Amino acid sequence: MKRVRTTATAVIAAAALLLAGCGGSDGESDSKTFEFWSFANINQKADVDVYTKAHPDVRVKLTEVGSTTETAQALTAALAGGKVPDLVLIQADDLPKFMQSPDNFVDLTTLGANDIKGNYLDWVMAQSTTKDGKIIGVPTDVGGLAVAYRTDLFKAAGLPTDRDEVAKLWPTWDEFINVGKQYVQKTGKPFVDNTPTSVFFQAVNQGSQRYYSADRKLDYDNEQVKAAFDVTLKAFDAGISAKQGSFSSGWTAAMKKGDYAVVCSPSWMLSQMKTNAPETNGKWDIATIPGGSGNWGGSFLAIPKRAKNAKAAWNYISEMQSPKGQLDHFLMQGSLPTTPSVYTDPQLVGKTDPFFSNAPIGKIYTQSVLGIKPFYFGPQDGPIGTEFLNTLTSVEQGKVNPANAWDTALTNVKNAVRE
Amino acid sequence: MTTMLGPAPVPPDVRRPARNRRIQQGVREFLAPYAYISPFFVLFLIFGLFPLLFTFYISLFDWDPIGEHRFVGLDNFSELLDDPRFWGALRNTFSIWVLSTVPQLLLALGLAHLLNHARLRLAALFRMSVLVPYVTSVAATTIVFAQMFDRDYGMINWFLGLLGFEHIDFTASLWGSHIMIATMIAWRWTGYNTLLYLAALQAVPRELYEAAAADGANGWKQFLHISIPSLRPIIAFTVVTSTIGGLQVFTEPLLVNPVGGLTCGAARQCQTVTLYLYEQSFGQFHFGYGAAVGVALFVIVVAFSGLNYLLATRIRSERP
Repeated sequence: MKRVRTTATAVIAAAALLLAGCGGSDGESDSKTFEFWSFANINQKADVDVYTKAHPDVRVKLTEVGSTTETAQALTAALAGGKVPDLVLIQADDLPKFMQSPDNFVDLTTLGANDIKGNYLDWVMAQSTTKDGKIIGVPTDVGGLAVAYRTDLFKAAGLPTDRDEVAKLWPTWDEFINVGKQYVQKTGKPFVDNTPTSVFFQAVNQGSQRYYSADRKLDYDNEQVKAAFDVTLKAFDAGISAKQGSFSSGWTAAMKKGDYAVVCSPSWMLSQMKTNAPETNGKWDIATIPGGSGNWGGSFLAIPKRAKNAKAAWNYISEMQSPKGQLDHFLMQGSLPTTPSVYTDPQLVGKTDPFFSNAPIGKIYTQSVLGIKPFYFGPQDGPIGTEFLNTLTSVEQGKVNPANAWDTALTNVKNAVRE
Repeated sequence: MTTMLGPAPVPPDVRRPARNRRIQQGVREFLAPYAYISPFFVLFLIFGLFPLLFTFYISLFDWDPIGEHRFVGLDNFSELLDDPRFWGALRNTFSIWVLSTVPQLLLALGLAHLLNHARLRLAALFRMSVLVPYVTSVAATTIVFAQMFDRDYGMINWFLGLLGFEHIDFTASLWGSHIMIATMIAWRWTGYNTLLYLAALQAVPRELYEAAAADGANGWKQFLHISIPSLRPIIAFTVVTSTIGGLQVFTEPLLVNPVGGLTCGAARQCQTVTLYLYEQSFGQFHFGYGAAVGVALFVIVVAFSGLNYLLATRIRSERP
């Protein structure tokens, strides 16, 4: 008998080991609790706190998964066959991949999205609306474009420092390049952090078409992309680049040391600059971007189809992403609202930032997202953008001849989209 | 064993339960050892063998994890053969492997010989400290090394500048980035291999060294004619393990060059096969194609392990 028991014990132990991995309780699924996955470092917790204070009976289980990419990866794994959250934040660059399979998400028009969709910028709303009118996500913020520049370095180079005068220097990218040349001539130091991110990724987001045509077909070899590419090569050729790849360790170090005077900075980059180079506090200012309105980035809130508590998640969306909710979030956190009705609100217009010489960031950035023409974001936008950026970076590193750069880029993109 | 029972005077209705009991016990005795070792095999089945076979399966599909799964046969593999990014990644992997493994094992041999020296003071301290890089987190090591190798603000280029040399853009160049990553790998694994060699050396009788010394052999001669021959089996072992590890280098190229995302540099100059697999699967959600990369890597690792094994058995069996 004893042997039977030990044999059984061994088998049970093996089984228990396995089950421990698969178990996991379902948790409470009452109508007042919901689970929310967000990225780290954008402080959604502040929003959640505001919401739970107003609704003390609601419990929000907030998980900061990691970077925007990691959050999208975790969501993919969950949708493919795991426990899904009730509410999830998706970055604009990751959204097109999910828009390919809209059946994984609740069509928000069934919960009342049609009543509120008019509150948001139409070209942002278009990104999360399927061809047949399903709404997958509600936009939480956009990434308006502007230029951050060092007033002390501009002064030393004999350039104006007032943000309106600086803006007048560069209505177009060509004039921006000329200002850069003057700066380099005067100081002998590079002007802009790099050209692939600070010129190409801005300029390519200012057109009326990017890598897809209006009828949602792949079309990256077009005039607008080529123009953005060429102006980037021109900026490189002018010798104004510090060749510090954005977000690299050299980029951060050079920012601290003032080894470049200009960064083209979408609204979400401002907080990174403050974290990276706190010692440059007050030395920066913000001017409008050359080339007109444009957007890079932004995020959306979506509800997975298998969510246990879609209703509670929707209540949260409709309250926190109302124009008033987005305005409050902007005043607290600085991410740019997607609801144009608050763009003239005195609180938004009056919002300044001491790190950037008290520049009216609300006013400057909201102006950059008005008048944008909607273009289609396709599922391959991410890899295509990376290949263009990488080719231009190779040019800066001296590994690709500028004369062949466009052809090299097209070849690389072709490989990446596996045509 | 029941057939051994001859005819007996016991009536059948009494005999049967006894016989059954004996059979049961036999079965139990037969099964018990398998039950005891089952946890490993059950876990291996679920977390090792199943994913392996499933990878083979999805490599035949155009597999979107949250969308459709379209059967494409061997298309992924024929595409792979035409894909310059895959061949580039393979070249990078082998180059980084050679650059890291060869100096690493040679250095470990030398260190082990020194640490085994009879007159070494504070031997325990030195022997422990070679393992410190191994217990440091890979991510931390990578970030620190990336800063040291930085083009404008790194320590190495500062030093080169002092000596009057031009700055080298390590991360941007092919060889520079390979050397950089190989250095990180060698830094991490040299100590570990040193300890393996040292353990083997300690089993060598001291008298051999003493006799050699009495015969007038210097340190170098002792190393060459006593240490190396006695280490043959363990050298073979370390060569095989560092080959398998070296072909799967991932964290260092992932973290060393944040520009360009998962490509390890703008020209994919240090993207390894595992990083390419990760980029395809989890960066772009091409799970089928990523799985095909995985299968290719599997074949390569198996082939190289086999080759290594043949080589290693020859090294082991050669007489000193």
